[in-house]
Amino acid sequence: MSDKVSCTHCHLEFNQDVMIVDGEHYFCCKGCQGVYHLLKDQGLGNFYEKVGNTALTPPTQQYEDSANFNSPAFYDKFVSVNKDGFSEVSLIIEGIHCAACVWLNEKALHKMEGVISADINYTNNKAKIVWVDDVLKLSSIIDMIRAIGYNAFPYDASLQELRANKERKDYYLRMAVAIFSTMNVMWIAVAQYAGYFTGITQDIKTILNIAEGVLATPVLFYSGWIFFRGAYFSVKTKAVNMDILVATGASLTYIYSIYITLFERGEAYFDSVTMIITFVLIGKFLEILSKKSVADTLDIMSNHIPSSIKVIEDGKIVSKNINDVKVSDIIAVGSGERVALDGEVVSGEGNFDESNLTGESEPIYKQNGDKIISGTISIDADIKYRATKDFAHSTLSNLVSLLEGAMSNKPRIQQLANTLSEYFSAIILVFAFITFVVWWMWPHSFETSFMVGISVIVIACPCALALATPVATLVGLGIASKRGILFKQAAQLETMAKATTLVLDKTGTITQGKPKVVKEHIYDEFDTSLLYSLVQNSKHPIAKGIAEFIYEENLHNLELEAVKQLPALGISATCNDKKLLGGNVKLMQTEGLCQDTTLHVDASGGEHSEFYFAYDGKIVAKYELFDTPKEDAAESIKAIKSQGIEVIMLTGDHKKSALKIAEQVGIDRVEAELTPDGKSSYVNELHKSGKVVVMAGDGVNDILALATADIGIAMGSGSDIAIDVSDVVLLNNSLKSLNDAFKISRKTYYLIKQNLAISLLYNAITIPLAMAGYIIPLIAAISMSFSSLLVVGNSMRIRLGFKDK
Amino acid sequence: MDSWVIAMMLGVSIFLGSIALIAFLWGIKSGQFDDEEKFLNAVKFDGQEELNDAVTQQKKRDELKKKQYKPE
Repeated sequence: MSDKVSCTHCHLEFNQDVMIVDGEHYFCCKGCQGVYHLLKDQGLGNFYEKVGNTALTPPTQQYEDSANFNSPAFYDKFVSVNKDGFSEVSLIIEGIHCAACVWLNEKALHKMEGVISADINYTNNKAKIVWVDDVLKLSSIIDMIRAIGYNAFPYDASLQELRANKERKDYYLRMAVAIFSTMNVMWIAVAQYAGYFTGITQDIKTILNIAEGVLATPVLFYSGWIFFRGAYFSVKTKAVNMDILVATGASLTYIYSIYITLFERGEAYFDSVTMIITFVLIGKFLEILSKKSVADTLDIMSNHIPSSIKVIEDGKIVSKNINDVKVSDIIAVGSGERVALDGEVVSGEGNFDESNLTGESEPIYKQNGDKIISGTISIDADIKYRATKDFAHSTLSNLVSLLEGAMSNKPRIQQLANTLSEYFSAIILVFAFITFVVWWMWPHSFETSFMVGISVIVIACPCALALATPVATLVGLGIASKRGILFKQAAQLETMAKATTLVLDKTGTITQGKPKVVKEHIYDEFDTSLLYSLVQNSKHPIAKGIAEFIYEENLHNLELEAVKQLPALGISATCNDKKLLGGNVKLMQTEGLCQDTTLHVDASGGEHSEFYFAYDGKIVAKYELFDTPKEDAAESIKAIKSQGIEVIMLTGDHKKSALKIAEQVGIDRVEAELTPDGKSSYVNELHKSGKVVVMAGDGVNDILALATADIGIAMGSGSDIAIDVSDVVLLNNSLKSLNDAFKISRKTYYLIKQNLAISLLYNAITIPLAMAGYIIPLIAAISMSFSSLLVVGNSMRIRLGFKDK
Repeated sequence: MDSWVIAMMLGVSIFLGSIALIAFLWGIKSGQFDDEEKFLNAVKFDGQEELNDAVTQQKKRDELKKKQYKPE
């Protein structure tokens, strides 16, 4: 055994003898070596000082040809021209591990002729690049990023994400002003109220009033603009909301305070104005902070759609827009290009990468007459195919529109606080008006009655109500994320707390997704090395399970020839002119090896997955594999059931193995042999019967169901698309955290209800007092902060009971 | 007299505070706080070289801008 050394570029450690030696440096692959020399040549070698010992991803071979990025259709979609006449594109850069990576990318791009600015966001790996299109093309930029060991693909930034960021920034600005003013108004108010109790001359009072007024004005008109806007819309749609209450309360108090200041009638109440707006604004901001943008999800899907197609017309290649291609057009696809439409190969042959649609990571060989699916990438194939469907009916476009549909049709459960505040606001406004009228009729001065009316609005002003939900959900989200549960949106905590049904996918969710050999049948002697070498060629979980089972020290890899992956069947190869076959029953049947009845070949499928190995035309061994459930599965499912949630298992597998797993983990309802569509329509049926459904899954075949369910939960190890589509991600893949997710959301929901009860109770006590005229705005302001603190403090109680970890 | 002292002090401190506030608002608007990680790491990658880089970048930009607007 030789020593381990780390690669000079990526810092991953390998045995010395497998490394490429280059002077005093070691490299794990040609890619790393290439990047290292490129950086040295470009004078960017000090990248390695900056990066320290962080391990990087070794550069990978990119299948997609960068020349595609230069097509006019692509430019139309992603590249915009800014006001200086420069081109702009937004990219997502893959492979960024540390701040030094950001530094390197920016530096390398800056060194290019024609690049004006490259700004990369370290947090979300998104980059904005501005360049002069006359000097260099987008493809050169992408090539540069790939050359230094990263990968980039464009996304359409004009969508929701940009809007969401803008909104967030807008709130920052408004909050900065509000908080600054409130804090300053408060210390002036301290002087004011100290004077109120100890004696103060009217001219000093007026000076303090003016100072407060100066500070309160930007808060009301700049920070409070959001509430005026909200109030306007709510009047327009004739639905009373909290914004009306805040807007009327704050502006009436403001007007009244100006009147006091001008006519020197004592203390103004500008402090109440700023405080109401600041508190409610913070509540609103917390809500915004935890909203996810659906745009992000669809970015990745639509990135899979090529924008222009090479169609062959009269022997010439014509570039066409994807929507203009008709059925039975002949389309050319070169190596590294993406297939846009479903079709049938008419000439040429080669391998295709179907991983982003099927999850199958092995390249699939296609030749004349084979069907090809849209969304897949040609790895080395240079083929022509006949379109059998137009774009709108192709698999890829179908999938995108199904997803879009599922996401927009998701049932939205209205949040408790929103429903409540509608009624609440209307009632308070009516109360305030009645109070004012009654006081005025009961002979009082206009001034006094107006003051009492305002105090009703100010005291009822829903600071606590506005903070009740966001603070509790934020605490809940914090606890959840510490346990590896990521909620993408705060409102989902509430939806999840109301869930009645949990739907689980079998493979990878309940089970480990790694089948293990449970039974071995040897029919004839054979060299285990043969089988070992054969299964080494496949990445299929079953092949991996076999390799793990038969692994011994003295096995060696044999030279195999003509290795072929047979999708959904197995693998074949030859060794010394003897044919090797490994795969399922179907493969054995198609090869005509199943006549021998003594082997008990059972085509109907048993509890276990079966793997046959045939050598030289004879079946020599059979292995039975079983995907065992995760260790904590049974326990966690029991715990979830005890919370009163119905648990259902859905799977695409055959019934027998599904039932066996279900029995082991204690699930009574099982639906087996479902297609991805079937899963999602099953979830829909549950919806129809009034259930609130949580779906947990990990594979590409679950994405439709995940998008359809009220809450889609993806395993962190699942496919990227599944994670994108889902609302919650379980980072540690365990069912225990699924149980935790239920517990945390229920606890949070319980505390939200309690918070709302506290703020309503507080109002029930103070509003009658205010109507009777016992409360001056000073006390209103103090009690307002008190009730807010109470709600915030109460929210912290979610932590109790989750302290053990 | 007393009241004028108070008025002045209030005026001056609010004025100074608002300068700080405006600087902060400018910082938010121009995107200096957009990427908290980069913001915190910036100090590690600061130096003469970075300054030079920024200047060359600015020069390149101005030159290219001039080129684009040359009369045709």
